[in-house]
Amino acid sequence: MKRKSRNNGFVERSLSGVLSFLKNSLYAEEYASRRGFMQSLDQRIKTLSFILFIVAILLTKDILIVLALYLLCLFLAYISKIDLGFFLKRTWVFIPLFSLFIAFPALFSNFTPGEELFSFKAAGLALVITRPGVLSVLLFVLRVAAMVSFSVLLSITTRHFDLLKVLRIFGIPQAFVMIMGICYRYIYLFIGIIENTYFAIKSRVGTYMHYKKGQQVVGWNIAFLWVRSCRLNEEVYKAMLSRGYSGEPMVLDDFKVRWKDWLWLAFTGVTVICIIRFFR
Amino acid sequence: MYNPVFSLKNVWFSYLGRFPALSGVDIDIKSGQKVSIIGANGSGKSTLLHLLDGLIFADSGEVNFFGMKLGEESFNDNEFSIDFRRKVGFVFQNPDVQLFCPTVKEDIVFGPLQLGLPKNQIQSRLEKLVFTLGIRDLLERSPNQLSIGEKRKVALASTLIIGPDILILDEPTAGLDPLTTRHIIDLLIDENISGKTIITSTHDLHIVGEVSDIVYVFGADKKIARFGDADDILNDTHLLAANNLVHIHSHRHKDKIHIHPHAHLDHHTEEHQNEKR
Ligand SMILES: Nc1ncnc2c1ncn2[C@@H]1O[C@H](COP(=O)(O)OP(=O)(O)OP(=O)(O)O)[C@@H](O)[C@H]1O
Ligand SMILES: [Mg+2]
Repeated sequence: MKRKSRNNGFVERSLSGVLSFLKNSLYAEEYASRRGFMQSLDQRIKTLSFILFIVAILLTKDILIVLALYLLCLFLAYISKIDLGFFLKRTWVFIPLFSLFIAFPALFSNFTPGEELFSFKAAGLALVITRPGVLSVLLFVLRVAAMVSFSVLLSITTRHFDLLKVLRIFGIPQAFVMIMGICYRYIYLFIGIIENTYFAIKSRVGTYMHYKKGQQVVGWNIAFLWVRSCRLNEEVYKAMLSRGYSGEPMVLDDFKVRWKDWLWLAFTGVTVICIIRFFR
Repeated sequence: MYNPVFSLKNVWFSYLGRFPALSGVDIDIKSGQKVSIIGANGSGKSTLLHLLDGLIFADSGEVNFFGMKLGEESFNDNEFSIDFRRKVGFVFQNPDVQLFCPTVKEDIVFGPLQLGLPKNQIQSRLEKLVFTLGIRDLLERSPNQLSIGEKRKVALASTLIIGPDILILDEPTAGLDPLTTRHIIDLLIDENISGKTIITSTHDLHIVGEVSDIVYVFGADKKIARFGDADDILNDTHLLAANNLVHIHSHRHKDKIHIHPHAHLDHHTEEHQNEKR
């Protein structure tokens, strides 16, 4: 009895877990629609300025500069009405993943020779941690932290579809961007359909559902979804035709660049050029 | 010579050659008329409307638009295609199909952009529609987040912004609350008064009287069972019952159960009084 109910719980948790994960990651629009500083900038200018910051982080060898840029990023997050606790959690989940494991060996004299800070014996090996080793690891971790933070800040303060539109300035064809947009729209619709079907089934079978049954339901759902998506495909195409689509989509370019954007770009440009010029 | 907007002669259509959806239909629709199509689920209403909008084409028979035959070839002519799409607007039964852009605003301006309307005209029409439909707050949102009623309004806006002379609507009031229904019907009547041809399919007998000069009743055999004046059709309970358009209601009065057809036209009280006799 106990085992069964645990199975049931597993199906339920994994299904709604996956659904809510998909929803959240696809649709983190809550922050993007707040009225903060980053949200008020033109998407293209914002993307460009973030790329500049990331270049500066990559090129400078001065730990203090990287630290300053990281703090700037936190400050930007703060004035964009982003909950700092949420922001730190979101960024620091990735940072050890990317940095510590890769950078770890660089601590030791074998890789980074120099002034000895600390030494110990492990598994019959004499290991020496060096001062340049520590500094280079610190720089590396900070760089990763700053870059991850800037990327996360960009992605949570911009609607995902606007990010797609930014692709167009890099020469990605209109039709491609449009198709991505449509996919984006309907993935969400499908998530809704799966969720509702699941609730409908649950309301009929009650809360108890054997995991075998659960698997069947998932399988059946995917088959059903496939049929739905083919049908939807056809219908959506008709809807596009009906409103005059003829193979070459036209899209309203509603990017607006104001003096505030130019000011921001100028600030970023000057800062980054100074960093590259004096602290390389 | 006078040409009707649409004229259909003995039109047959089946999906994939296997699923019959229209079996010999004749219809004439004049300019400025209000026409409604009623019938049970699966009787071919949506199919007929798709045919009128040039989205599918008859297997046999003729569909004429202002005297010109509508066929796949006619839409190969770019000039005709743009002209037709500007003149004929279609609101789909399922708003999720019609709203395929990531934001409401992009969806509304999709049509006029494809049809090459000037930007300032698009902007001013958008302003006006957003005001009349009360959807300003929805513009930046994703269609995913809207309720059915909001989706219908946006779908309507995305068609009206093209400024079509002929409006085709597939069940425009399904799933709407009475007030929103009222609002949309008023809008359609206004459009009709300003000279537009309105073609609606519906199950909602409440609205039929207002949106039709002529009613076509589709039968289960995917043919026109009857057509005529809205009043005549709505009073023909036999016809309506035979086509699943009347609800059979059972009521309990004191300890007796009454079963009677209920055409959704009159209020309950009136029918109950009739019954007491
Ligand atoms: N894409 C399709 N493929 C196959 N058969 C279809 C398709 N669309 C509709 N049909 C069939 O064609 C017939 C007419 O369908 P249609 O959608 O026109 O009915 P309807 O009167 O609009 O019904 P409803 O009131 O449910 O909207 C139905 O029997 C239906 O099963
Ligand atoms: Mg239909």
